Amino acid sequence: MSTLESKALPLFQQYQQTFTAHIRQPRQHARPAGVSARRMQVYNEIVFNNFFSAVSACYPVLQRVMGKRAWQALVRRFFAEHQATSPFFRDIPKAFLEFLPNVETLPPFAHSLAHYEWIELAIAADDSIAPALTAEGDLLHGVPILAPALAVLAYDYPVQKISTRFKPQAPLPEPVHLLVFRNQQDEVKFMEMNAITARLLQLLQPGQMTGLAALQQLGLEIGHAETAALVSFGGALLEDLRQQQIVWGIAA
Amino acid sequence: MSQAQSHGSIKGAGLGLKRELLPQIQAAHGTDLTQSLDFVEIAPENWIGAGGKYARQLAWFTERYPIVCHGLCLSLGGPDALNEAFLRQVKQFLDQHQIPLYTEHLSYCSDGGYLYDLLPIPFTEEAVHHVAARIRRTQDILERRIAVENASFYVAAPIAEMDEASFIRAVLQEADCDLHLDINNIYVNSVNFGFDPHAFLREMPGERIAYAHIAGHDQEADDLIIDTHGQDVIDPVWQLLREAYALFGVFPTLLERDTNIPPLADAMQEVNHIASLQAAQRNRAQQAAVHGVDPKRVSA
Repeated sequence: MSTLESKALPLFQQYQQTFTAHIRQPRQHARPAGVSARRMQVYNEIVFNNFFSAVSACYPVLQRVMGKRAWQALVRRFFAEHQATSPFFRDIPKAFLEFLPNVETLPPFAHSLAHYEWIELAIAADDSIAPALTAEGDLLHGVPILAPALAVLAYDYPVQKISTRFKPQAPLPEPVHLLVFRNQQDEVKFMEMNAITARLLQLLQPGQMTGLAALQQLGLEIGHAETAALVSFGGALLEDLRQQQIVWGIAA
Repeated sequence: MSQAQSHGSIKGAGLGLKRELLPQIQAAHGTDLTQSLDFVEIAPENWIGAGGKYARQLAWFTERYPIVCHGLCLSLGGPDALNEAFLRQVKQFLDQHQIPLYTEHLSYCSDGGYLYDLLPIPFTEEAVHHVAARIRRTQDILERRIAVENASFYVAAPIAEMDEASFIRAVLQEADCDLHLDINNIYVNSVNFGFDPHAFLREMPGERIAYAHIAGHDQEADDLIIDTHGQDVIDPVWQLLREAYALFGVFPTLLERDTNIPPLADAMQEVNHIASLQAAQRNRAQQAAVHGVDPKRVSA
């Protein structure tokens, strides 16, 4: 903000501006004149620490893989630079995820891993509700309804395996397909899938296609000529997905 | 002078709902342990738009307990435009769950972006008008009176033009809103800034009290308390609550415990203590009424 604009602000807002600029970047911005350093330090610590906890709670693997010092520096930079727009606390980790592409010095897998860690929180709190459905029912001729809180994901790094002892430096030759969903007991479940299953779930997720139509579409996409074999395989696959509460039934 | 409206179901003794305590309260519901638990409090920022197990937990509580929404991120004293889109979500949430009361802090938590913590507003005339206008707008959008809480803080602004009690009174009067009296915050600030908490309490507009908070804190040094809500309530704070009941009559009162969360049984001992102080004051008021003395408000 320019000096001119700053002068137009009421005194209390000029003071507030100095106060928060100091909290965000204590080394770059002096505290307000006449304020005790010791007392100001209380705010510098509690505001950053609360923010740090909110981010860190969502990213246990990323922070371990990066190491304490690098993680602290990363969250500190986010805290200093980011203007959070949501009053909801659970959106802090999401804003952090969106901030990561601005950072040049991260490991190559960092963004994929962060997304995979964040999605657990997002799926746990997702407020989508399943449309009216029949739990039993023919999954081939009916329209299968998937768990309403569900994400079909593909990553260039094996994010589900990353740890302090496994930090992949190159992307996979083929992306890894992962499913994250909430079952009917509201537990978040993770699963690795093949590309075919991932594509089938993508086709079904909008809740528009019958199981048969989705399998036929899949057959066309993968150049599979033998429809009968595909339908037989696909029917069994859909039943298996229902057993695992990935498919909740067919549209009523 | 405007009288704080009664919020019907909000009465007696309450407990702030922390996620750690939810399963324990659910398990103890209907037993002696939670007998004196009359209402609970939630931060709308944690529950609006949350589905899954969070929605189920909230539904469990709305079916069984009166609920107050105690907000954290409205930033009443902040420099940004009031977040009216958020307030409309709050309104919808209050209506949907039939929550009678929404309160916020006399503080700010944003500076162009959210900082998610309660920062001290400098006590100036201009700040009074700024905050009061935003409270009025909030009440317009929510179509109800709100109550604002006296905040705890650690830095006194050298540019202040009045003391905290005068600031609170001026804001409440100009906004025509209620007071969410935080007894612990009076004590915390009295230590942090060296004033008499009893004198401060007497300066509060008792007729505007919607309900009160009580909590513990961490004493860092002789002259510095950090308001962690992470310890048991200390005796001088209980004494202030007792005195507030004697001055203003009994009002609903809620225990906040936000860090270092103890087992429910320990937290409930403090909730029970609130209830016993309320009963003792009612008895005193009744005795006084028999002897022809002003009984104050005894309705809570």
